[in-house]
Amino acid sequence: MNVRLESIGLTTVAIPEGRLDFGAAAGFQAQLEQVLAGAGTKSAGVIIDCAGLDYVSSAGLRASQRAGLAFAICALKPAVREVFDVSGFSRVIAVFADRATALAQTRQPA
Amino acid sequence: MKRHTAVPSEAAQLPVLTQFLQEFWSAADLPPAETVTFELALEEIFMNVVMHGSPAGRVPRVEVSLALQDGRLTLMIEDDGPSFDPLSLPAPDVTASLEERRVGGLGVYLVRRMMDAVSYQRLRGCNRLSMTKRIREPTP
Repeated sequence: MNVRLESIGLTTVAIPEGRLDFGAAAGFQAQLEQVLAGAGTKSAGVIIDCAGLDYVSSAGLRASQRAGLAFAICALKPAVREVFDVSGFSRVIAVFADRATALAQTRQPA
Repeated sequence: MKRHTAVPSEAAQLPVLTQFLQEFWSAADLPPAETVTFELALEEIFMNVVMHGSPAGRVPRVEVSLALQDGRLTLMIEDDGPSFDPLSLPAPDVTASLEERRVGGLGVYLVRRMMDAVSYQRLRGCNRLSMTKRIREPTP
């Protein structure tokens, strides 16, 4: 699985593409942890943009979960949405329809 | 339509099994939107055997079969590892916050919720988990 990172102000947008399965979970978690560690004391946020994500399993959900709680997710395809919904994760993580909405909602006050 | 394959219970075999499922899907011309339930079930149950059902010094053999009949698809996963019924795992509290959640049981919970029927049998020294879901209307 390929993961692109984009910085928008204090927010980092992680864009995983393809399948977030057991084989990809550890690498994805490490990347998220690196981003969160790099944020230091600043109240930076992480948004996971799932527009290019086709599949997620419990290993993928756990990787997202362990990497920290300061994040939102957006743009879930139906197959990925179903797993987030059934697992209950979409009730405890902020889920937004698209990246623009997620950025607007998570923006830190100046 | 029926297909069958067998692999050692090693994490590196997961892509092999996923490809086996995808090839079945194309050959049977099944609706793409329904693959997620079966891909997920295959990964969760197979990885449970790899991570928790493989005693030191021995790699169990895992047999996977798919059978499509009357619009219902059955995925059967059988391993010759130590006796273990994954359906005996307590359901996770899916309303708990992320901090309060315990690791484990989530994969099996997802499979139970997304399949129509799931059953476990210990048969001739093997664990057999059978999972069925209706994926299209039966042809009249």
